[in-house]
Amino acid sequence: MAYGAQTDLAERSAFSVFWNRFVAVVRLSPTAAIGLFIIGVFGLLAFLAPWIMPHDPVAAYTDRVLQAPSAEHWFGTDGNGMDVFSRVIYGARFGFGIAIPAVLLSLAIGVPVGLIAGYRGGYLDEILMRFFDGLRVFPSIILALAVVAATGQSLFNVILVLGLLDSPVFARVVRAEVLALRSSNFVESAVAAGNPTWRILFVHLLPNAIQGAMAQTAVRAAWAVRISATLAFLGVGIQAPTPEWGAMIRQGAEFMVSGQWWVAVYPGLALIFMVFGLNLFGDGLQDLMDPRRRAAK
Amino acid sequence: MSFQRFLLRRAIMVVPLMIGVVFITFMLVRVGSLDPVGRLAGPTATQAEFDAIRESLGLDKSLWHQFAIYVGSVLRGDLGESWLSNRSVLDDIRERAVISLELLFWGVGIGTLVGVPVGLRAAFRPNGRFDQFTRVLSLLGFSIPTYWLALVMIFVFFYLLGWAPPAIGRMSLLVTPPDPITGSYLIDGLLTANWEAAWSSASHLVLPVICLAIVSAAPIIKQTRAIAIEVLASDAVRYAHACGLPERTVRKLVLRNSAVPVLTFVGTELTGLVGTMSLIEFVFAWGGLGQYGLNAIISGDFTAVQGYVLTLALFSVLVFIVIDIIVHLIEPRSELS
Repeated sequence: MAYGAQTDLAERSAFSVFWNRFVAVVRLSPTAAIGLFIIGVFGLLAFLAPWIMPHDPVAAYTDRVLQAPSAEHWFGTDGNGMDVFSRVIYGARFGFGIAIPAVLLSLAIGVPVGLIAGYRGGYLDEILMRFFDGLRVFPSIILALAVVAATGQSLFNVILVLGLLDSPVFARVVRAEVLALRSSNFVESAVAAGNPTWRILFVHLLPNAIQGAMAQTAVRAAWAVRISATLAFLGVGIQAPTPEWGAMIRQGAEFMVSGQWWVAVYPGLALIFMVFGLNLFGDGLQDLMDPRRRAAK
Repeated sequence: MSFQRFLLRRAIMVVPLMIGVVFITFMLVRVGSLDPVGRLAGPTATQAEFDAIRESLGLDKSLWHQFAIYVGSVLRGDLGESWLSNRSVLDDIRERAVISLELLFWGVGIGTLVGVPVGLRAAFRPNGRFDQFTRVLSLLGFSIPTYWLALVMIFVFFYLLGWAPPAIGRMSLLVTPPDPITGSYLIDGLLTANWEAAWSSASHLVLPVICLAIVSAAPIIKQTRAIAIEVLASDAVRYAHACGLPERTVRKLVLRNSAVPVLTFVGTELTGLVGTMSLIEFVFAWGGLGQYGLNAIISGDFTAVQGYVLTLALFSVLVFIVIDIIVHLIEPRSELS
């Protein structure tokens, strides 16, 4: 285990284990705590959006098009006369709604692939790794764009494509850990005791090999939020007037040269903060879970 | 190992990678649910017309047959015709590649020149004030959407301050472009003593280049810091300290030992930066390869998308090889491992 004094694990409830670790994280890495705080704020915004939003995010006030920020419309109104503040708050739902399932999907695909490739080795491993190497040669944003554009433009598809394209990240990390663990005593005893392969993989190896992958999740979530917003900015996947940050920046782009900055600037700031929070948290997480990086601090 | 043998081995190692790359590029548009035939034929086409178009595109053959045909034409340097512009994709790409390379060169060049010294300085005093500051700054750089940064810069420097020219293209429309020599307006303008064109080109370059430099500097700062910290903890540096060498000499040693991993990192980063750059091109209507590719993707121009994606992959592979060669030249022992 990476941190915290270890007593008898079985005696402690899952919650107290979680809480102790949480406190340890905050104490060891203040940046991670700040990141967690930012994510928490956005989480609250997303969850409580219907109660916080002063206006309907897609209600067009045709008599108040492109109004500057005011007491009535804190972040102004956009080209359709929609309230930018309400739309920015609602946009947090898309951030989480895309990032969480996409990362879960990446884990669901990447972790088993990494386990099997690392444990089995041989041709299967070789081919998979070469394939992942091949994928790395393409810029991820272009690949995501092209695949979403080709396979059909829906929110569901965006999640699916992001999850698929990012799974090699987790597969690689898990594979590397499994390779190191494969010939250790506990695995050999498990084999000798006659455990079936799936049991060795998922009961014996998984808990020992998952740490590196878990450390990556926050950074990968940041990636998913950023890429999905980029897709929406280019009009691929999510279309205006959906209150998604990238789509809102797209709507506001034309007004940047005529002075109505608020349409694009506010959703951009929200996007930056959320991605920044996830990156801060992820960076701290990696520091805490990687002993080498911890030593360097 | 002789240099020729080294080159040969590198070239051979690239072959399976390239086969994979071409396969991924090929599959990219086949997995789609988009129907190019319907798009080309139009809504009033008869079944016979459909079949004719399907046959002319070779879509009636089996997938493996199609792949073989595709590999054959790629090897002959034939990337097909753009279905929208009816021009050869290869010509389109060749024309625009230089335009993008110019932007990439200045942007990533400046990003590296700023990022490496900053990362080194942060590493010399880990957790010092400078390190904390640049750490937050580089994480911020990771988090800023490129296209948003570009838009804000246009707003501030064009709309508010009026310092920058309008963000449309590489040069003012009122200026006659210089005679093409290299394809870069700036260099051609300087070479042909067309100062007006060179100035206009330079002023149009400033904002996109700064944008790209910011985006590329962030990961370089972070990685350089990590690499230098590792080097600082190495036996070689400890020995140098133990010998009582002056700090300046030790730092030179750190620089020398960090050079190879930093260089390799910048090389791998280029792959992603080419993608990021396409967004900058898109916002500034740059007219380069990136904008061409994005437009092709958005409008569903399959052959152009394939050609674009393949070109990017080829570029990455080429960069890897060049980096490999440079690393081999400055550090021959890296071959041993």
